[in-house]
Amino acid sequence: MSDVAAQPTPNLLANGWIKSGLIVLGLVAAAIVGARIDPTGTIHAIFVDPFNQMAQAPDLLAQTIWEGLVSGVLYALIALGFVLIFKASGVFNFAQGIMVVFAALTLVGLYEKGVPAFLAVVLTLGVMFALAVTIERVVLRPLVNQPDIILFMATFGITYFLIGFGEAIFGGNPKQMIAEQLYLPKGAIDLKILGGIVSLQKIDIAAAIIASLMIAVLALFFQYTRIGRALRAVADSHKAALSVGISLNQIWVIVWFTAGIVALITGIMWGARSDVSFALEIVALKALPVLILGGFTSIPGAIVGGLIIGIGEKLGEFYWGPLIGGGIESWLAYFIALGFLLFRPQGLFGDKIIERI
Amino acid sequence: MNAHSMAVAGAPVTHKGEVLLSVESISLRFGGVKAITDVSFDIRKGEVRAIIGPNGAGKTSMLNCINGFYHPQEGRITYKGVRRDKMRPHRAAAAGIARTFQNVALFKGMSTLDNIMTGRTLKMRKGFFWQALRHGPAMNEEIEHRKVVEDIIDFLQIQHIRKLPVGKLPYGLQKRVELGRALAMEPELLLLDEPMAGMNLEEKEDMCRFILDVNNQFGTTIALIEHDMGVVMDLSDRVVVLEYGRKIADGTPAEVKADQRVIDAYLGVAH
Amino acid sequence: MFYREAGQYKTNYAADMAVFPLRQDRIGIAVILAIAFIGIPLLGNDFFIASVMIPFLVFSLAAIGLNILTGYTGLISLGTAAFMGVGAYSCYKLTTFFPGVNIIVLILVSGLFSAAIGVLFGLPSLRIKGFYLAVATLAAQFFLQWAFVRIPWLFNYNASGAIEVPQRTLFGLPITGASATPETRYFVCLGLVVVLTWFASNIVHGKLGRSWMAVRDMDIAAELMGIKLLNAKLTAFAVSSYFAGVAGAMMIFLWYGGGEANDVFTIRLSFTILFMVIIGGLGSLIGSFFGAAFLSALPTALKFGLPALGVPIGGAAAEHVTFMLVGALIIIFLIVEPHGLARLWQIGKQKLRTWPFPY
Repeated sequence: MSDVAAQPTPNLLANGWIKSGLIVLGLVAAAIVGARIDPTGTIHAIFVDPFNQMAQAPDLLAQTIWEGLVSGVLYALIALGFVLIFKASGVFNFAQGIMVVFAALTLVGLYEKGVPAFLAVVLTLGVMFALAVTIERVVLRPLVNQPDIILFMATFGITYFLIGFGEAIFGGNPKQMIAEQLYLPKGAIDLKILGGIVSLQKIDIAAAIIASLMIAVLALFFQYTRIGRALRAVADSHKAALSVGISLNQIWVIVWFTAGIVALITGIMWGARSDVSFALEIVALKALPVLILGGFTSIPGAIVGGLIIGIGEKLGEFYWGPLIGGGIESWLAYFIALGFLLFRPQGLFGDKIIERI
Repeated sequence: MNAHSMAVAGAPVTHKGEVLLSVESISLRFGGVKAITDVSFDIRKGEVRAIIGPNGAGKTSMLNCINGFYHPQEGRITYKGVRRDKMRPHRAAAAGIARTFQNVALFKGMSTLDNIMTGRTLKMRKGFFWQALRHGPAMNEEIEHRKVVEDIIDFLQIQHIRKLPVGKLPYGLQKRVELGRALAMEPELLLLDEPMAGMNLEEKEDMCRFILDVNNQFGTTIALIEHDMGVVMDLSDRVVVLEYGRKIADGTPAEVKADQRVIDAYLGVAH
Repeated sequence: MFYREAGQYKTNYAADMAVFPLRQDRIGIAVILAIAFIGIPLLGNDFFIASVMIPFLVFSLAAIGLNILTGYTGLISLGTAAFMGVGAYSCYKLTTFFPGVNIIVLILVSGLFSAAIGVLFGLPSLRIKGFYLAVATLAAQFFLQWAFVRIPWLFNYNASGAIEVPQRTLFGLPITGASATPETRYFVCLGLVVVLTWFASNIVHGKLGRSWMAVRDMDIAAELMGIKLLNAKLTAFAVSSYFAGVAGAMMIFLWYGGGEANDVFTIRLSFTILFMVIIGGLGSLIGSFFGAAFLSALPTALKFGLPALGVPIGGAAAEHVTFMLVGALIIIFLIVEPHGLARLWQIGKQKLRTWPFPY
């Protein structure tokens, strides 16, 4: 082929994976060359030194990855709530993060009022159901067939209402999660591996197990039940689902209630690691980059995306953060997602969208 | 019929003008789905060229290739003697190709006037600074283009809806506004995607008249997709027929009408 | 009966294309400007001017900025506060480098830095839309907020980590710093807001504004009309961020008199401004003012108004009620009138036009 220069191999580069792979390769090559030329400078500090540190202290690396894994599981749980609602109602539920806080606060608040722990869990589920019904009645039903962006903004309204409501009832102070009363394990397991000690919190292990169980149950529910099928139909088209006799109202209540259960479990797990407060609201926003990575409709995507973001940001903070002053955890997740978006706008597991005109 | 021989400018004497646009054996795929397979035809200056075919024959995809929204994987498109099969839509617009859409694609939040004014965007040159002042040169420019737009509004007889938001207009009027918006670009080649779909008889007659007037008065070359065979036979100078993404016939309305493959395609014969 | 266009004929296109084609509207604007420039400074006390009017003006400008992006161009942004911060910090650095230059000029110039940063974070908007873009703007919000705190050069290595507003004068009168009176600060704010609103109005009524709305309503068709999507989106980001930046500089220099990013330019502020735009009316400049007036006055009204009416309410409780009210109002507006207060205003005007007849 003589005119290769005129048409730079379009078929090869059209593939997002190959393109990003080539870019990564290029960066690695540039880094190696740069590090050779300049063994103490910036390039060395960015591209070589962190890897040296990882190799020298594998126990620290393992610990960092574990930490990342755990926060990743929690991001994934929040993202899961988003995905459930998005899949079944096409609503991008910005309020999922605040639902987590609200569920946890209700649980702790009820316990503080003297309700036994497990009864409090049941009552909290009742509250989440009431919330689902209310949201369906007050917000979703009047907004059927509105553009997605309107529904998206309506969930901002839900977020703010729940913040005000939660703070008005439970106060703005951080609270302790009732982890012991719910028989959640405490303490840590210290593994002597990799020439050091890697400490695993039992609660984190429990979180990972519970999260996997829940995801399995949800997947089965979606795949094999009549309601699951109806949910998928509604996700495709409100109008079409209505026309074949699926009750939108019922489906929405179910789906928002399911998201509420997921929120409660997330809230318990999260609360057991730190405390229950509205600071979680900002952390919950990190579920958004997770969704970008995983795609809005994919449950496995939410998990994988959560783990990538969790581990990525912990590694970034620990090994690269100090180079530019630390605290980069607050924005790194968004940049990972943003970089990813430029190569694969539909997410890891999302379908490619063909625009029709 | 050999399409390549037809692409030679001015070969048959029976047709108007020289070749404005030629499509040479283009193919378009979406993943594994073949939308267009090896289609060639040309559009001559000043003619009304119809593209017809059953649903899913690749007609709209063909228009999308011509104005740069899709890029065919194979073949070439030559417009005014320049090869341009990788052109972006806004470049196609700058080169004088305007179009309307099958499902009206108006700017719903804007008034009729503003919609048609957007068609003048490429012709307006005053910079950001003057626009921010909205006096002097920018205002003169706005007025000058407003006059052109008012002429189009008069031509299409839509004076009464000038300031109404187009989202609330009846369908037939929306189609007319969309035609107006395309005309405002003063295109050399006007692509009309089912300009009469969903219209009643009276609206169709009006639209036919507008299309013929545009062709006669401004000499605009028109390529149109239409299902109504009567309309196609009356309006067009030449017709190209697509079926399953392939060209099955090309010629004057009378020739096409007599073609056995076209009759089969429309009446449905087992393949 | 009094608000009617009967008898007002336009004999040329310029008159027909005026922003306020009706004589009564022009009179109305003149009256509002007269109240703003003469009535309020004469009648309002310092508290009213400093705690109600100045915040209202600053928020209005920020809301206009966001409305250009979200209302006119259809791109959702959750990073407005960060772009406001860029304006504030640029202005601070400019006052340090050019102490002799008039502060009003510096405030206007600092918007340019914000515009540049806005364009940078607007670049992904070509490939991503809707929710995805909202997340991209969150990247701007958190990254810039981090930068304001972690890069000490930005706040001149102050021990407080905050912007310390120096005293600057105009015609010998202090307009920034501790000794500037609320009235002078108010006049500066008002002047800036009036001029910039006039620019905004001109732009949205011209070619650029039409391109933005075309992109918002149907981007594919817009591209086929010859509008370059990247250009349209990036100019929207630039102009929007410019307004946000100027608003941010005004916020610190003319309202707060100093401050730190983590207290001021937070995601909460971004949301507040987005809500102003939604409640006021997407795609309406006058709506930006309505939304800003409503949401900036609401907390103050609850905090000071309810106790004055004899309803006991603490500061914290007032804040909670504000949150609940704002949340509820967002939902109510989206359900009842997605075009916000601006549409209610239009409907009111339409009713007035035909009054006392029903139509």
